[in-house]
Amino acid sequence: MKTASSEIFRKYTDAETFSGITEYKTVSEMWEQCLAKWPDAAAIEDDGKTYSYSDLERDAAKLRTALAGCPTGTRVALLAANSYDFVKAYLAIVTSGCAAAVFPAHLPAEAVFGCCMMFGVSKLFYQPGFEEKLNILKQQRPDIECIATNAPYNEATPLRRCEPSAPCAIMFTGGTTGKSKGALLSNDAVMQGTINGCYGTPEVFNQRYLLVLPLSHVFGLIRNLMTSLYTGSTLFICRNNKDMFRDIAAFRPTIMVMVPALAEMALTLSKKFGRNMLGEDLKCIICGAAPVSPFLVSEYKKMGISLFPGYGLTESANLVSGNPESLTKPDSVGIPYPNQELKIVDGELWLKGRNMMDGYVGTEEPGAYSDGWFRTGDLARIDEDGFLYITGRIKEIILLPNGENVSPAEVEAHFNTLSFVQDSQVFEDRSALGEPILALEVVLRPTELTDMDDEARKAYATAELEKINRSLPGYWQVSKITIRDTDFQRSPAMKIVRYGHGAVKE
Amino acid sequence: MALSRNEIITRLRDILLSADERKRDIIENCTEDSRLTADLGFSSVSMLYMVIAIEEDMGIRFGDVGTNDFETLGDVVDYIEERQK
Repeated sequence: MKTASSEIFRKYTDAETFSGITEYKTVSEMWEQCLAKWPDAAAIEDDGKTYSYSDLERDAAKLRTALAGCPTGTRVALLAANSYDFVKAYLAIVTSGCAAAVFPAHLPAEAVFGCCMMFGVSKLFYQPGFEEKLNILKQQRPDIECIATNAPYNEATPLRRCEPSAPCAIMFTGGTTGKSKGALLSNDAVMQGTINGCYGTPEVFNQRYLLVLPLSHVFGLIRNLMTSLYTGSTLFICRNNKDMFRDIAAFRPTIMVMVPALAEMALTLSKKFGRNMLGEDLKCIICGAAPVSPFLVSEYKKMGISLFPGYGLTESANLVSGNPESLTKPDSVGIPYPNQELKIVDGELWLKGRNMMDGYVGTEEPGAYSDGWFRTGDLARIDEDGFLYITGRIKEIILLPNGENVSPAEVEAHFNTLSFVQDSQVFEDRSALGEPILALEVVLRPTELTDMDDEARKAYATAELEKINRSLPGYWQVSKITIRDTDFQRSPAMKIVRYGHGAVKE
Repeated sequence: MALSRNEIITRLRDILLSADERKRDIIENCTEDSRLTADLGFSSVSMLYMVIAIEEDMGIRFGDVGTNDFETLGDVVDYIEERQK
């Protein structure tokens, strides 16, 4: 077992910067210090407007009025796209001593209702424009108060302190089985995740961050928003990723947090158009949420940009480790951050520490813990210098190159609603060019579509499956549909053996 | 001056090739009927790449588009033609 300390990161920045990395126990405590240190600095740029730290506190204080009297730990849902509305509502919730249940903005109305029930929320903040997503909730549970982020509160309600153990956020995760649930993160965990973002990079404070990741993901919420606020930096919110390069040219970020697929795309576009599309001010890319190719590290170095790979989970409040030595150890996900306890058991990485969640909300996950250790489901090794390497996954969920976790069972459930589908399997396949894609194979129910010949039956089934496919969120859509002539490989208990989990694709 | 459909397809092939040289065989033979996901293996990031590269290359602006908005390369050509007007 190893427990990391911050000292190992001292050499990667100057002494003054390193001494400024102060530990806070709660978001309220951090936010009070931010306001004292940088009241007039720009905190957020969004939709053509700039908001200082004081502006953000003024607007969050008004929204806190809606939560006055809520006991510590009250669960408050937040339904908003990346925007200033999101930031001020999130800050209002967590500096009221409440826990923000952060809903992905793409959730449909049924899921918004279902998640409110699963997470036991008492109130919900929503961004104007999201009203239709609340229809079912308002009908079924009129007692849950829905508050628009532009609600006209005139009164300012002061920030409230809480214990470090108080719940701070509930973040969506597939966990190790892929079934959607929430990871309950305490203030202590969120603050450890936030401070972790300060270690291992030369420049830390007063940076210019450009946000391209969803704030409903820990990588966006904690490494991007929270570390940006903690460091007195400015966060520019890119509302549509297709505009990211125009936004970059205007805002000139010094640091970006990206998934590998986006970093790869920016590199390819830079080569095609013969200029650094990320701008000359960008010094550092924090890259994670999916395996990072060493190629990206070396190519970005040629452009004068340091790309630091990292490893983390929703359950660990974002980063477990980060790699400040990416040039010499490009395959590694780095050194564990302070207060991270880890050990490797039968090849699997097990975690404990201040940053770890207090458990799942909404569903039980048997086997998530052993002897108080969180079992990541990832295979790992540590080298003689203490650098961590992720060597594989033993969990079923599929991690796409863009960083999205896809639970095959969840996607299959949609196709299985068709009466003629007997069994289905969604899996990671390779295109003819070797690229990872999602594919679907289906076994038809023999008793259905019996009035058609085999060819017509397959054609009809494929067309119906395509319709379902197109109705799914983009990252759930499969690129290939195959109607099988034979059954799937099955275990002795007649369960389908999944590809990559014992079954071999013909 | 507005590009013809053939010129647009040629430019699109260049853009797709710059994204992934390994797809040369498929891209050089792609037609307006080629399906973006099924035939060309598009992901949400490929779509983003294509949209950004078209905007840079052809000087047009896309509205809010998602992976569901275009099924075939021909749909993309239609969109570009419309935007050129």
